[in-house]
Amino acid sequence: MLTAESLSLGYDERLVVDDLSLTIPAGALTAIVGANASGKSTLLRGLARLLRPRAGSVLLDGADIHRLPTRAVATKLGILPQQPIAPEGITVADLVARGRHPHQRWYRTWSPADEEAVADALAATEIADLADRAVDELSGGQRQRVWIALALAQGTGLMLLDEPTTFLDLAHQVEVLDLLADLNEREGRTVALVLHDLNLACRYAHHLVAMRDGAIVAQGAPGDVITAETVAEVFGLDCLVIPDPVAGTPLVVPATPRRPANADGIRASRAPSRPS
Amino acid sequence: MAALSLPRPDRRALAVTLVVAAAACGVFAWSISLGDFPVPMGDVVATLLGGGDADSELIVRTLRLPRALTGLLVGAAFGLSGAIFQRVARNPLASPDIVGINAGAAAAVTLIVLFDATSTRVTLGALAGAALTVLAIYLLAYKRGVTGYRFVLVGVGASAMLFAVTQYMLTRAELYDAQRAFVWLTGSLNGRGWDYVRPLTIALAVLVPAALALGRRLRILDLGDDAARGLGVRVEATRTGLLLTAATLAAVATAAAGPVAFVALVSPQVARRLVGGCSAALAPSAAFGALLLVSADLVARRIFAPTELRVGVVTAILGAPYLLFLLARANRIGVAG
Repeated sequence: MLTAESLSLGYDERLVVDDLSLTIPAGALTAIVGANASGKSTLLRGLARLLRPRAGSVLLDGADIHRLPTRAVATKLGILPQQPIAPEGITVADLVARGRHPHQRWYRTWSPADEEAVADALAATEIADLADRAVDELSGGQRQRVWIALALAQGTGLMLLDEPTTFLDLAHQVEVLDLLADLNEREGRTVALVLHDLNLACRYAHHLVAMRDGAIVAQGAPGDVITAETVAEVFGLDCLVIPDPVAGTPLVVPATPRRPANADGIRASRAPSRPS
Repeated sequence: MAALSLPRPDRRALAVTLVVAAAACGVFAWSISLGDFPVPMGDVVATLLGGGDADSELIVRTLRLPRALTGLLVGAAFGLSGAIFQRVARNPLASPDIVGINAGAAAAVTLIVLFDATSTRVTLGALAGAALTVLAIYLLAYKRGVTGYRFVLVGVGASAMLFAVTQYMLTRAELYDAQRAFVWLTGSLNGRGWDYVRPLTIALAVLVPAALALGRRLRILDLGDDAARGLGVRVEATRTGLLLTAATLAAVATAAAGPVAFVALVSPQVARRLVGGCSAALAPSAAFGALLLVSADLVARRIFAPTELRVGVVTAILGAPYLLFLLARANRIGVAG
């Protein structure tokens, strides 16, 4: 179980998350949502001990995560960062096998248990037939599966993923989320992830955490949390919330119709384009 | 599961290491046999194994063997050092001869040569110079982690500065001292006796296992700092350990043979291409460095015999075009990878 207690996080002079407390419910799929720069990735990095807290603490099974040996933490908690680096020319199997690092020692570098964990991870993510391919050659969706397989091979009960669906098209986003929901359901792994897409978050998450300006605005089951008011507060967007016709979960639809073109023929809402 | 290819890159790296090391040993024996007084190969091997007559005993054991051994060890140290630096900084230009580690050792040694040189003082001076340089570069390049380009840029700056300091010291020195320092600064194996081999052997006996043990974590560092932390690697501590080990390797090599250019730059690149895949190729790089340096020394000794070139001249002639190739390629694709 992972808990943040009065956690404050920041970079250099900037404080991003201030005095935040949160429990990631065990066995559930938790999604952290919020506008750009709301501190959701910072929070995830803090929870994953990638950032040292300014104040407060993160507790893993009741113990301060920064006092535990980092290798011991790595056998309980896996993390998929936003932009991991695949070394040039590495094969899928070789990359996934590196997830076994926390279980290895200098005198025992590769065991049958490692072999089995890697084979299982490749099978669960359905990339066993890609095992000998170079990771550079794969599509974005396949590559994300490889990274998830690496986190699986690590064999942790708890997985934290920082925007695992960015840069993927809609079909691949759904594919990756299906996979994570599956792992959560079948193997009972606790999954927490930062997501950009509110509607997908509502559909897949058991527990939703909505953030703004480094603080939690609302949390709970998506059906309870996502209302027009919350969305307005979190994203500053007027919207309607209707039931998703497929899953019945909340579906957020922007309420303002498209703005008309101005005199110059340039749509006011389009220009200037915002960097994302 | 046969498709699982993990052990395969390791096996290939081992095979490459053995083949290259065998070639290095071949050149090593050949370079002992060649000279103004040729010793037949059979006598070389016999003498190395403890037999042989008094003449070949003197030529082989006292004159040529320590020099060739120094070449072998220095080459391996430079190759290994370069492989670690390039991998940690993720940039092929980040090798100790480019980023000023050798220059740091050289500046310290020049200072010592100009005052009062003993081989112990030279070694200690080189160590101190290299360690201070690598720490300074690391601290200056550090900005929430260390990226390859920053490391290389800061290192090139440091290298230029240290070169200037060395030159300044030479202009202030007595002519004879300056001449001696200058020979050393090009990199030479001339006259290297057992008093050079012994400290080198001891240093490498400690440093090589340390480098290979830490090198296992390089595979994880390659995935990026966050992913490596997530897999339980203490990133900064590991990186500092690796850089200090590599700097020490470069320092002991520099202390023994001078700042021989390009061996540390070229060896890991060739070794990585021989091994293929994404292996860090530490052991193959060391083997190739040894091969390169004993070969370059053989050329340096024999090409204009009886006049000897300095080995650093030969490696520079071989290495400089390669550096240009790397720079051209780095420019074209934006990142030197």
